[in-house]
Amino acid sequence: MAKNTHAPLTPAVLHILLALATEERHGYGIMKQVESDSQGKVTMGPGTLYGSLGRMLEAGLIRESDKRVDPEMDDERRIYYGISALGRTTLTAELERYREVLAVARKSRVVRGRFAYGS
Amino acid sequence: MAPESSIQRCRAWYARLLRLYPAKYRDRFGEGMEQTFADLCRERRATGRRLAGFVVWTFAETFVAIVTQHVTRIMRGTMTQDSTRFLKTVRTSALAISALMVAGILTLMILARGKDEDITGIVAPALLITILSGVVAVVASVLRKRAQQRGAAH
Repeated sequence: MAKNTHAPLTPAVLHILLALATEERHGYGIMKQVESDSQGKVTMGPGTLYGSLGRMLEAGLIRESDKRVDPEMDDERRIYYGISALGRTTLTAELERYREVLAVARKSRVVRGRFAYGS
Repeated sequence: MAPESSIQRCRAWYARLLRLYPAKYRDRFGEGMEQTFADLCRERRATGRRLAGFVVWTFAETFVAIVTQHVTRIMRGTMTQDSTRFLKTVRTSALAISALMVAGILTLMILARGKDEDITGIVAPALLITILSGVVAVVASVLRKRAQQRGAAH
């Protein structure tokens, strides 16, 4: 098995990558997806969100997409963000790391069965 | 329920707060942050939740993010004119807090003179805040001076 050389991600970065893994989103869209994915357990304000987006852009994990109107919202044009190839590789590596940790925990009977938020 | 005018007013105040960010950062993310803030306000209005608590929390959260951005720049040695202006604001605010606390403590001591009241419970935390504000003001002054010297050298 290939060795995972990626450093562990912060919860905010992991959730943002997860939110962007399926489609491009704007700031508010990312927040809502993170909230939904974590069943309301992870909430971040604009300061934390854009701070993380800035660092992720710098690291090449995400890319800025075009500015466009969200048909489900008002007519303001918003900047969309999308996951990059490096971001996808990093996310896959991080999820693999989680899977390995969970396998060890299951093996040592620390956790049993399905693992979910709040369980 | 908060009317749209309240949301627009909060957005204008939020835009003012965003001016404390380094210019480069503000140019890149300021508009998006403003939009996201307004979207969150509208969401709260739509779900019938109060706006005041959320606004205070977001302003505090963003202020912490602004401080983090400036500290990161200071650590990286890429401090610019924005950072010196920000440090000046921090120094002035810290000095104002210190002055208010000292005035409060003195007033309380004068009012409590001759009475058998124990004011230690109020004076002690106020004194602590005064000292901390003083330390913040000194640190901000030193960092600002260094930034100015560095700016003059370049």
